[in-house]
Amino acid sequence: MSDNAGFLQKHHFLIRRLHSLSGILPIGVFLIAHLVTNSSILWGGAALKARGQAEDLSLTQGGIAYFQEEVSWINTQVPHLLLIEISLWAAIAFHSILGIYYATSGKSNLAHYSYQDNKRYVLQRWSGYLGILFIFYHVATLRWGWTFLVPSGTEWSHHFSASTLAAAVQGSTSGYTAIGVVVSLFYFLGVSLLVFHFANGLWTAAITWGLTVSEQAQKRWGYVCTALGAGLMLAAWSSLAGAFLTDHDTALEVESAILVEEHGPEHLEHLIEEVMDDEDHDEHTLNTTDTDNNEG
Amino acid sequence: MTTATAHQPTSDKPKAVPGRSVIFKIKRCDGPGKPFRWESFKVPTEPGSNVISCLKWIAANPTTTDGKQTTPVVWDSGCLEEVCGACTMVINGRVRQSCSCLIDDYAPREGDTVTLEPMSKFPVIRDLWVDRERMFNALERVKGWVPIDGTYNLGAGPQESPEHQQMRYALSECMTCGCCLEACPQFLKEEDPKNWDTAFIGAQAISQARYFNEHETGARLKGDRMDVLTGPGGVSDCGNAQNCVKVCPKHIPLTESIGAVGRSATVHAIKKFFLGH
Repeated sequence: MSDNAGFLQKHHFLIRRLHSLSGILPIGVFLIAHLVTNSSILWGGAALKARGQAEDLSLTQGGIAYFQEEVSWINTQVPHLLLIEISLWAAIAFHSILGIYYATSGKSNLAHYSYQDNKRYVLQRWSGYLGILFIFYHVATLRWGWTFLVPSGTEWSHHFSASTLAAAVQGSTSGYTAIGVVVSLFYFLGVSLLVFHFANGLWTAAITWGLTVSEQAQKRWGYVCTALGAGLMLAAWSSLAGAFLTDHDTALEVESAILVEEHGPEHLEHLIEEVMDDEDHDEHTLNTTDTDNNEG
Repeated sequence: MTTATAHQPTSDKPKAVPGRSVIFKIKRCDGPGKPFRWESFKVPTEPGSNVISCLKWIAANPTTTDGKQTTPVVWDSGCLEEVCGACTMVINGRVRQSCSCLIDDYAPREGDTVTLEPMSKFPVIRDLWVDRERMFNALERVKGWVPIDGTYNLGAGPQESPEHQQMRYALSECMTCGCCLEACPQFLKEEDPKNWDTAFIGAQAISQARYFNEHETGARLKGDRMDVLTGPGGVSDCGNAQNCVKVCPKHIPLTESIGAVGRSATVHAIKKFFLGH
């Protein structure tokens, strides 16, 4: 290789392998934790009942309480949360930018060679393209507080995790709006494609790194990846079902009760005021037509 | 007998009509850089006709279905028994050797059409004849040989277990035909030889590198081979579409080779990182 070969060419192999690795660590590992946590909104009620807690709550309310507990733990107890988040965003940026660069260097030929593996090759690329759009929308709206992209105009809050989530995907604080259906469909498509992307990526990574060499090994690892993918898909769809079915007001009641119990009523009032202020502020400075359209 | 029927189910395949004529639709090109055009020929068949025998008939009767006199269609061929790879072309959209392509299977009825195109990943020399030089260049790059030339007697060759020999035999069957590269979505046409060093090298050379790495004497060049295959266009550019193994006429376990070379690459890169050479 000549001395003036570009950085990418010089470290071609290392960068390729880092691209492969970053999909598993940290992104894949985070995905597993994220989906398992989020799915608790559906099964958390049963978990609390099994522990003998939340006897006065229904299963739905229990799920909201469990989920809220998890979210509070992440946002108040996990050390260096911002550092973890920044590492994650950096890894996702690295994986997606290089991924797009690599993916566009190929030319798919499904029309003449429509094998199942070839279909997955194509889907791996398209799930990457759409997946990164979804991740960007998801993080921007629910983490960075870009409320102008949220049809309901509401901001996600870790004190009111389930209610603000429900409002964000349903389009309003009082149930589904037309655009809420669009957001929900986008969530369903985005999350499903990303779970596929991870499971299939895990399968190809084993070949890339030379873990699975023989055809039988590749087949066996394929079963493992399919099982993991199916489990994650279940967690993903449970999470989505939770977000889609949660009633904003019910969730808000459960979350408020938790806040009152833990910090007293003054704290709750203070938080609600803060949230209301934010919403007022948004309505004054940002496009109010969004909220007008979606209220009706 | 049972194996024959299992291999070629006769039930869902129409029986070939004897004495029928079939249409050959051929993508033609007069030379490098010249435009493509399609021409059709009506060719009488006989039992056992293959694409090459029909091309020979066309060469003797170069008249299109429109009645226009044209030049004979040019193609490349050698062994006529599917071991040299020279007659590889795209038939009905899929790459394969034309010598082993039987018309009874592809066009069993009167007036059926067989479409012939040159491989799309290699420069066309003329009509169906392409320049497969890039594959031979790739073999040179990965040092696809066993180094036995020298000034002294190397003695007897290495001992090899029958199992290992069987594994290497499967890899040795590669005839550099180009099917795996034609069907690969990651291997793209590259006319300029200057770019061959950085564009994806493809399953053919990766598998051959494994073949020679697995030879005890050939393994002396493993480091050099892995340097090339861990560079730009090396094994890491594989996208795991796995078309290669499905179109390989010799059923070479190409995806296993890619996995094995991937493993060697991992080890090679880690060694290089920590040992520094």
